[in-house]
Amino acid sequence: MSTGVVVKERPSLRAAIYGWVQTHPGAILSPVSFALILVVWELCSRAGLMSPLVLPPPSRVWDGLMILFTAPWFPQHVWLTTAETLIGFGVGSVAAIVLGIAMVNMPLFKEVAYPYVVAFQVMPKVVLAPIFITWFGLGIESKIVMAIAISFFPVVINTVVGLEAVEENSMLLMRSLVASRHQVFWKLAWPTALPGIFAGLKTSLTLALIGALVAEFVTAKEGLGTLIINFSFELKVYLVFAVVVVVSVLGLVLYGIMEYLDRRIVFWRQDHFTG
Amino acid sequence: MGLTDVTSDREQAAPAARQGHPTRQSKSGAEARSDAIEITNVGKAFRRRLSTASVEALRDVNLSIRPGKFVSFVGPSGCGKSTLLKLIGGLIEPTSGRIAIGGRDVTEPRRDIGMMFQTSVLFPWRTILENVLLPIEIFGLDRQAATQKALNILRLVGLEGREHAYPRELSGGMQQRAALSRVLMTDPQIILMDEPFGALDEFTRERMNLELLNVWGERGQTIIFVTHSIVEAVFLADRVVVMGTAPGRILSVLDVPLPRPRSIELMKSPDFARIVFAVREHLGVAR
Repeated sequence: MSTGVVVKERPSLRAAIYGWVQTHPGAILSPVSFALILVVWELCSRAGLMSPLVLPPPSRVWDGLMILFTAPWFPQHVWLTTAETLIGFGVGSVAAIVLGIAMVNMPLFKEVAYPYVVAFQVMPKVVLAPIFITWFGLGIESKIVMAIAISFFPVVINTVVGLEAVEENSMLLMRSLVASRHQVFWKLAWPTALPGIFAGLKTSLTLALIGALVAEFVTAKEGLGTLIINFSFELKVYLVFAVVVVVSVLGLVLYGIMEYLDRRIVFWRQDHFTG
Repeated sequence: MGLTDVTSDREQAAPAARQGHPTRQSKSGAEARSDAIEITNVGKAFRRRLSTASVEALRDVNLSIRPGKFVSFVGPSGCGKSTLLKLIGGLIEPTSGRIAIGGRDVTEPRRDIGMMFQTSVLFPWRTILENVLLPIEIFGLDRQAATQKALNILRLVGLEGREHAYPRELSGGMQQRAALSRVLMTDPQIILMDEPFGALDEFTRERMNLELLNVWGERGQTIIFVTHSIVEAVFLADRVVVMGTAPGRILSVLDVPLPRPRSIELMKSPDFARIVFAVREHLGVAR
């Protein structure tokens, strides 16, 4: 490689980076601001402005994370909470989609059942956690039921709204082709509803995680929610923070997977094209 | 509605021979399949929601359309032209009177009638080719065998190379070409078009008009074309059905004895201007 080539390439690469930064200021400023907050937090703590027992500095939280990740008992807590979330989400959303389809296809059933759905949707479902513990015990079952209960309704409502969002002309086209009910559903209504259903699924996966954690808060032997409760009783606030970080990352990963599936499956959604 | 009766009589009296249509081939078999459309004393009232009162969308419509004809319905909003189209397509039933195609009453949609709307109604999750193949799938025909036909039709309407694009990636005009291709896939004997080019700009609309005439010239279906553009109605049609409002009804039916094949040049001719003006006058009477 001659030096001439290097000299030619360097400005263009720099210009490219510079241009990218100019067009995506948020992509730089967002991590920079985060780093800044951590630094200020750390400095305040070291200057003695806050007790590390109440608000541990980032470095202490990092230590906590290291303790968690080296502890042999830690992975099973992560897996348990993940399993509760995913099973609850899976069962809840499949049931919700089936119920949504049933309501759209049976108007009388919908008329009777929809008010219940709306009423339950409005109710803060976390209040049910103690009841579920009483009914289903201290184990994984009560957490799964809680995750189902909390993730169920957004999917039902989005399924119903989505299936009913079929445009009049699309319906006329299918009728003019003398399409069967089955064909109208699978070739028109279902794909029309998918973007809305996926929006519901994304919300409800996050809610399922909340449901599992809240149920663990109430009573459980294992799980990330249990760890948070136990560590705060032991006044190990830095470990509580460390678990909170783990829970946040878990939520982000689950959401990221759904977002990926959404983009792959509902590829025709408008914002996917422009974004 | 005396006018209506007079004009439908005139249609019956018109000579059966098609004039000035060199590209049409009567041996193609498409015409042998074609049936006349007879609309007799048809009225349509819609019940208003949350009310016992009903709105009269159409009153006492009489019209007969001979096979292979291009007929335009023109009129202001609310004249019931789209309603009449849906009635012919069997998508809704008349409150009174009867509609028959080839002597058989229309009571439900038929697969030998194609429909086109103001919006292209292309499914965004299907490519253009997949959209055009939709009727084939619904009819339960062999998709593989139909693909070559679909590609030929797409080439005919100028969409070659865009088969695997998604509707969103196409302009409004190209989307309507795809919608036209989807109609042509099933070789319908009658095509019902509800303001298909109404949402397009003037230039695209003119080009689409010419392409539609080409397609029709080759295949000779019966086309019923609803529009609110007088110029478009006259330019395309053999006959223009002028409709009025409150209640929706036929005001008059005008013949368009202009030569075919037609080009944009035709719009300069005094004959064209005279017919356009006549339609305008008949619409003016609608007050």
